[in-house]
Amino acid sequence: MSKPITDESQIISVVIGFLYPFMLLLGFYVIINGHYTPGGGFQGGGILASVFIARYVVHPVEDISDTRLHAFERLFLALILVAPILLLFNGLIYRYPFLQVHYLTLMDILIGLQVGLGLAVVVDRFAFFKGVGPSWR
Amino acid sequence: MIEVIVVVAMAVFALLAIHSRLLRNAVIYLAIFSLMAAFFFLLHAAPELAIAEAVMGSGLVTLLYLTALKRYKVFTIAVVTDFEYRIRDDLISSVQRSDAVQDIRTFLARREREAQIVFVRENRDEALRNPDYDLVLAADDASLVVYGSEDDYLVVELELMFRMRAFGSGMGVRFEWSESEVAQ
Repeated sequence: MSKPITDESQIISVVIGFLYPFMLLLGFYVIINGHYTPGGGFQGGGILASVFIARYVVHPVEDISDTRLHAFERLFLALILVAPILLLFNGLIYRYPFLQVHYLTLMDILIGLQVGLGLAVVVDRFAFFKGVGPSWR
Repeated sequence: MIEVIVVVAMAVFALLAIHSRLLRNAVIYLAIFSLMAAFFFLLHAAPELAIAEAVMGSGLVTLLYLTALKRYKVFTIAVVTDFEYRIRDDLISSVQRSDAVQDIRTFLARREREAQIVFVRENRDEALRNPDYDLVLAADDASLVVYGSEDDYLVVELELMFRMRAFGSGMGVRFEWSESEVAQ
């Protein structure tokens, strides 16, 4: 044996490392243009989460704490609830129609980040599952 | 015309995914199937659905399956004994607690394999012929003999680890290669 065989494939890690910025760019493009092209918060969030999973497939190290990801996901979920209450239900959008596009973009961004973080937490919990313990919720 | 081609290709890739012997290939076939489905949605003027199918079906689910394949690999170790009578609790506990078995466990855990130790009633040669067992341990009162296939690089690394450690420890672990007649 000339050199040890490992599980990590050189081809996959190089190609996915090359693809990271394009995946991020596509994800944000799909999120931000969601209100007049196909796509939107959920689809873009899925692309952002697949960046996170690709990172695990290439380099399985637990260096991002999932409790922090989970906290951010909860924060964005709360903001998704707060934004319509502040902007939609008190008639602000109807009084100032130019805010409609901004409102839709804001909601798309919030939903995209919430979905991306949520799916990332799901995969993180699944990948680094060490049994039911005190940190398990 | 193009619709018919897409539908037939979807059926072909679905069958390939079911019948392929390697799970990794099945995952890739499923991703291609999903991409075809996305294209089919696009042909029927549903671009929103098409992009959701492409992202979920061929991106996220494929990566999730690859993660699952990476995460969970069971390495089955069969323990055979020379005694004719039944496997007793003290034999099981002595094998489980022996240093060599603990070393194999930590060696495998470091490579994300889960060691599953089974005590089998087959004799040594039958156990070696069984393709479900990755490693066969023959337990004696004094020593453990490890039988493994030379084709498995994990077993080769394990043997190397034991050989490097064997100087002066006298643990009584002996390594032997089985004939690689194990069917793939």
